Amino acid sequence: MNFLKQSYRETTAMMRTHGLKMLLLMVAAALLTACGGDSEETAGSTLAERDVTPEVQAFYAANPELITFATPADIPTDLVWEDGMDLPDIGSPDARKGGTYNEYLEDFPPTLRFVGPDSNSSARSWISGFYRLTYAVPHANEGGYIPGIAESWAIDQENKTVYVKINPNARWSDDEPITADDQMFAMFFNLSEYIQAPFSNNHYANEYTNITKYDDYTFSMTVTTAKPDMAEYVLYLSPVPEHFYKELGPDFPERYQWRYEPHAGPYHLAEADIDMGVRMVLRRKENWWAKDNKYWRNLFNPDAINLTVIRDTAKRYEAFRSGDLDMFRIATADMWYDSLPDTDPDVASGYIHKSTFYNGGVRGNWGLWINSSRPLLDNLDIRLGIQYASNWELVISNYFRGDVERLNTQNDGYPDFSNTDIAARPFDIDKALEHFANAGFVNRGPDGILVNDQGERLAFTLSTNYDRYADVFTILKEEAIKAGLELRIEILDGAAGFRKNREKQHDIYFMSFAPSQSMYPDYWQSNHSDNAYDDSFLEDGTVNPDRKIKTQTNNLESIADFELDQWIEEYDDSSDKARMIELSHMIQQRHFEYASFSPGFAEPFYRTAYWRWVRWPEGFNFRFTTYPYEMFAHWIDTDMKQETLDARSDGRAFEPHVEVYDQYRGL
Amino acid sequence: MAFKFNPQTIKKLRRFREIKRGYYSFIILAAFLLLSLFGEMLINNRALVVSYEGDLYFPTYSAFHAGTDFGLDYPYETNYRQLQQQWRDSGSENWVLMPIIPYSPFENDASSGIFRPEAPNAEKEHYLGTDSTSRDILARLFFGTRIALVFAIGFMAAVYMIGVAVGCAMGYLGGTFDIVSQRLIEIWSNIPFLYMVIIVFSVIPDAFTIFTRILILLGVMVLFSWTSMTYYMRTETYKEKSRDYVAAARVLGASGSRIVFRHILPNVLSTLVTFMPFTIVSAISAITALDFLGFGLPPPTPSLGELLKQGTQTLRTAPWIVMSAFGTLVALLTLVTFVGEAIRESFDPKKFTVYK
Repeated sequence: MNFLKQSYRETTAMMRTHGLKMLLLMVAAALLTACGGDSEETAGSTLAERDVTPEVQAFYAANPELITFATPADIPTDLVWEDGMDLPDIGSPDARKGGTYNEYLEDFPPTLRFVGPDSNSSARSWISGFYRLTYAVPHANEGGYIPGIAESWAIDQENKTVYVKINPNARWSDDEPITADDQMFAMFFNLSEYIQAPFSNNHYANEYTNITKYDDYTFSMTVTTAKPDMAEYVLYLSPVPEHFYKELGPDFPERYQWRYEPHAGPYHLAEADIDMGVRMVLRRKENWWAKDNKYWRNLFNPDAINLTVIRDTAKRYEAFRSGDLDMFRIATADMWYDSLPDTDPDVASGYIHKSTFYNGGVRGNWGLWINSSRPLLDNLDIRLGIQYASNWELVISNYFRGDVERLNTQNDGYPDFSNTDIAARPFDIDKALEHFANAGFVNRGPDGILVNDQGERLAFTLSTNYDRYADVFTILKEEAIKAGLELRIEILDGAAGFRKNREKQHDIYFMSFAPSQSMYPDYWQSNHSDNAYDDSFLEDGTVNPDRKIKTQTNNLESIADFELDQWIEEYDDSSDKARMIELSHMIQQRHFEYASFSPGFAEPFYRTAYWRWVRWPEGFNFRFTTYPYEMFAHWIDTDMKQETLDARSDGRAFEPHVEVYDQYRGL
Repeated sequence: MAFKFNPQTIKKLRRFREIKRGYYSFIILAAFLLLSLFGEMLINNRALVVSYEGDLYFPTYSAFHAGTDFGLDYPYETNYRQLQQQWRDSGSENWVLMPIIPYSPFENDASSGIFRPEAPNAEKEHYLGTDSTSRDILARLFFGTRIALVFAIGFMAAVYMIGVAVGCAMGYLGGTFDIVSQRLIEIWSNIPFLYMVIIVFSVIPDAFTIFTRILILLGVMVLFSWTSMTYYMRTETYKEKSRDYVAAARVLGASGSRIVFRHILPNVLSTLVTFMPFTIVSAISAITALDFLGFGLPPPTPSLGELLKQGTQTLRTAPWIVMSAFGTLVALLTLVTFVGEAIRESFDPKKFTVYK
């Protein structure tokens, strides 16, 4: 995410001088601040000694209900242990280890911590995401669990408990062994206020009721509700290295700002490989403990991942064209068809390959989130009118060139749980005018915008922080005018936009939540009245006249529907999958009728251009991947790189490669 | 009483006219400004005149006409280009007179149905091509330049008003007031201007119209730019204040305001005037830079900076975007700079006063 374009230092002094210099100075200032990390002191050198161990022990002793110590004899004997070893291999057996894979970073991370302030930056996936192992991992093609740090696990659905045996060979990236103590510590760590991560604090406090250690490698965790996907709550966790966080304390954010937490995955970031503000190089551990594992042996192929900060899309593209980047993901149609057409000399000669890969799984829900607590927008007819006045069809056909699909609901793509009977409302001027007329907007003003009897114009602000979709908004705006609706476009920078919708100050917001990887959608956060108002309803279910907007929640539409609340609560408490599906369909239907979300578009694929020496397994990639490099199934063929570069300078051509991989399309 | 220039000023103006480069630049700019005031009649997708069933309509500045007003089947704004074509094809008695460039800076007009930049095409009357959502570049440039120029002039007027007032007061009153104001101005001028724009823009309520938002942007820029003028005004006023004619006026019993407005100001005017064009240059650059970075005028307001940004993103595929925007910016800034040089030269006292 393009957070805070904050690197421009600028004073009025510049205004005094010639204006053109200003631009140059801004650029210079941006560069200077980008290197600002240099002045940060390496944490630890001047900090006092600290040892959190007594505090941890005291916490364990004070919370015997939550943290239990038992013996191997206490493990129930009737458990069914699984090791996930019967699923097919992943990746190509032809994959070769070696080479350097060159990627870009949108921005240099403000910290190397995995948690705490500023840790959720755009570089996060590279610091902790893609290669960090959890206890078990979903099989990228089949679903189902395959072992990560865990050797085996057992699920006791009835008692809401998951048992995990840690692989005794598992090592942290600093070669310390991973033990059950690290998971016990994870409990302390994530509940601790030191880490300044309210989300983790809440999550651990609300979702887990117990952790029990049986021996050095065996533990169990009990969750609050026996949801159908209960096992994921435990298996998708990572332990936290107790030895590394020995100095945990109130100064955690500063002390650990530039220390790279050891993890169980194959890539490590050494201090010598960090060039502040410019570059980070991740290196593969030669003796990684899981390198011969059936599932991992063909993945994580490059020896090094060279991440260079390139802030601007146009510059990234040029870097790719000159071969400084090995791969370039292309989201927009104009880049795919016009900037790098199949007829481009590099593509036609087979130096650069283009692949479109249809992946599976849940999609982002791009659309218009209409805040129904605002004046006029609290009127159902106005909201319905806006739905009919949003010409997504034109956006999809003329801007995206038909590559993306129309979204139908806020939660498309959950097998069984998504209500596929619902179809998004089409662009229909007559219907829009009819609904606006029902709400009292009959006459058009001099500019063609509808006006009601009180002289109010039918105008709303469409806010967003996605400036890359700016063209989409101008199309929506121009089309909405036809239906007498004015959309004032407001493009904010990341932080300002985020704050605006957190504080529910928006009329209409364009955004998408990151696609969830869980089995079923979460409705409580975005559709329950708990997240719309304080005390939405009185005891008898009627609307509380004194209710106040609740800020900092995901209910961006301010939906408060008493009956909907009952369904969502039942859905959340239910452990019966069939009933949950039924409720899910009812909730989606009611949400559709409430018309506070205008479903936009969903991208059913990712597409990428890459140099010929980046090689891929057969079928390109795996069904449940969102990024082409997520599992590092590709490998860098260094011989081929030389061959390609030589051929390019001699003018020798190869077979062009422009492929669509749609084996998972529609799944 | 008719306003009369003093002979000195008349001399300076004559001198300005003699510097051809600056003089013609001034004429061109003034002509453009004048022309742009009636821009809606030159570049617009609303027709100048529609003759429908014996009645004449003038939609340019009047209320919007739904398609149904002209016998079409849609309730939204008439597409006059289509209407014109339709009536021509059918040999109808009705007719439409369109402006020279029949596009508005906002509408998407894609010939292939796909929104993408299209190269200049005289036949379709897209003389500079279209931008990344198929909007006419000439229309956007024209109205973008108009906004930038008006914005810059407004900026200059406001900055000078505040700068001159405060600077004069500092120079004339002197003493504690001068010292305190100077320190305050030093502090004030060190507040980072761009941060302030970003912060202010993130808190202003979105219910404001685009025009109000432009005014607020102007206000913020003025708020952080008036200080530079005070330095010049202060020294000039100090200098003039100690001259004999001021002392004479004071002895004759002239009030402070009379001395400032009748005696000092006219004498420091030449300093002010020479700065004006350069202030305009910096204002145009600033608003363009802000737009380029995405903190300026709210979309879809046509602007030079926004076009430049589009242009840099489509350097390879649509070079006409960056060429048009860059060319316009260079031409505009060059013209203003020429005017500025000419003014500076014609107001240069060395030309007229020779000490021997």
